[in-house]
Amino acid sequence: MTALLKPLRRLLPSVYLRVAAAVVAFMFAVALLGGLIAPQNPLAQNAAETFAGSSWAHPLGTDFLGRDTFSRLITGARPSLLSALVAVAIGLVGGAIPGMASVFLGRRAEYLVMRVVDAFMTIPPIIFAIAIIAGFGNGLTPAVVAIGILLVPRFFRVIRADTLKLASAQYVEAALLFGASKAYVLRRHIWRKVIPTLAVTSSSALGASVLGISSLAFLGLGEQPPAASWGAMLANDLQYLYQEPWAAIWPGLAIAVTVWALNALSDAVHTARPREVEPADAVEPLRAEDAAAAERASVPQYV
Amino acid sequence: MAAIALASRERRISAPLRWLGAEIVRFVPVALLSTIIVFGITALAPANVAATIAGETATPAQIAAINHQLGLDRSVPAQYASWLWKALHGNLGVSYFTRIPVLTSIEQAFPVDLSIVLGATLIAVITGFAGGLIAAVRPNGLVDRLITGLASIALALPEFWFGILLTIFLAVKLRLFPASGYVTTSMSLEGWARHIVLPSVTLAAPVAAVVARQLRISVIKELEENYVTGVVVRGFSRRRILFKHVLRNSAAPTVATIGLYVPSLLGGAVIAEIVFALPGLGQLALNAAQAHDIPVIQGVLLVTIAVVLLSNLAVDALLGWLRPGVRRS
Repeated sequence: MTALLKPLRRLLPSVYLRVAAAVVAFMFAVALLGGLIAPQNPLAQNAAETFAGSSWAHPLGTDFLGRDTFSRLITGARPSLLSALVAVAIGLVGGAIPGMASVFLGRRAEYLVMRVVDAFMTIPPIIFAIAIIAGFGNGLTPAVVAIGILLVPRFFRVIRADTLKLASAQYVEAALLFGASKAYVLRRHIWRKVIPTLAVTSSSALGASVLGISSLAFLGLGEQPPAASWGAMLANDLQYLYQEPWAAIWPGLAIAVTVWALNALSDAVHTARPREVEPADAVEPLRAEDAAAAERASVPQYV
Repeated sequence: MAAIALASRERRISAPLRWLGAEIVRFVPVALLSTIIVFGITALAPANVAATIAGETATPAQIAAINHQLGLDRSVPAQYASWLWKALHGNLGVSYFTRIPVLTSIEQAFPVDLSIVLGATLIAVITGFAGGLIAAVRPNGLVDRLITGLASIALALPEFWFGILLTIFLAVKLRLFPASGYVTTSMSLEGWARHIVLPSVTLAAPVAAVVARQLRISVIKELEENYVTGVVVRGFSRRRILFKHVLRNSAAPTVATIGLYVPSLLGGAVIAEIVFALPGLGQLALNAAQAHDIPVIQGVLLVTIAVVLLSNLAVDALLGWLRPGVRRS
């Protein structure tokens, strides 16, 4: 147990970061348990009790159909958070593998892959998701896939920047000179060393993904009513802002706290990770555009 | 890179023209690929437009006739070529359902987004630069921690929630600004300004946070440079060092970051439009998405991508001016 706690302590040196880790763990536990811990049926309507204030039966009151806000908040965690996880997985696989491979692909393929990523980065994110949904129909799957595709360039650029640095290390050059194949070098020397970067990027990408999925839900894209999700709850609250202005606090707070915690964790891993990734013998200078990409990649982005 | 080398061999061409040439060579493949993506995701989609237009009682022959009329029975590359050719000539097609030319709808909606995106950029640049600079002067001081903390909160706020909170406090409770709607500049300049304040602030918050964080890091790094010690020793005033030397040198990465956020600003504008009920491109695209009105979606995507490419060009020009060394190399 202590062996397990030690790296955790090194990773989370301050109280602030332990709070962030606890928040993330708590939110995802709620998302997993979902309906099991909700005190009431989140879909049960009650026309006699619309816009009710806080009470023992309804700690956070009820919405415009008399549904229990607290229960909807709990069950809304699942479509808001677990689907964000799937989107990150899509972005990771779609971005990290071409990102690593692009360094070893040869000039022409490298040029093409990089221009495709550039092209994806010119498309405004929400409008891209709207277009995907226009073509493939409204639902959670197209929304998650759209957010996943939007995360691809983020993973691609960070992993590529790291791989470029590693590829110029002397032991990699030595391995290539001794006749190791590119695939072998990727597997043996590169893959494990980019994992810390993957962790940092995944954590911040998860924050961006939660924001993105909630934004789409707010626009009515993704999980369809009457199922609860945080973004969709806010869309309803906006319609009844004059009847019940304070209802909008809760789902927004849930999103903001989760995203803040994920960003804080990402920053913490970023500063705590071992600096193997920057080998001292990497004498070959990076190309200016890759240095700039690495510089920018250190700034967290939101979708 | 090869393009720049090629251009610099032509000594007769003036430097700005050479720069523009190199930029165009860099941008054209990206622009072409973006249009392929735009056309691909909308044209390859399974949605059966002709069946929707024809209605439930349509015979297969009627559906085929509509497909032929819309040109949907041709091969995808042929459709793409004719779409791109027309788009380059300013013809974005006609909405499948309202029969309104797409360009007309976009011309009406676009000024709304342009207003709030420009407003947001202005707010983000002013508050972000001010915040980043103030924070960097005394790293880890109280003010720095306050600004860094505020920035990390602003980055976690969902735009739509922040917009709703602004509406609750500044529009519903204090009645300082209108809660929703839009007024064109030709109707009333003051009304226009009042209507775009809250959407612009909503949109600006995360970008301001990113600008402040990036500038703070660059300024702290820059202040450790030898030349700063040099000018301090020479007795230059603190203000002069900060604004004349350090700020200019550390502005470049921040400007580059702002350039990266232009697509996000345009995407975020959709959210702001919905929160504040503005009749912009996002509303247009959302309505079109529900109806599978593909030409409208394609038009909106094309116009926003063009805006992103143009602003990238502007950012590159600004970067070249900020660090002449990079431009020359």
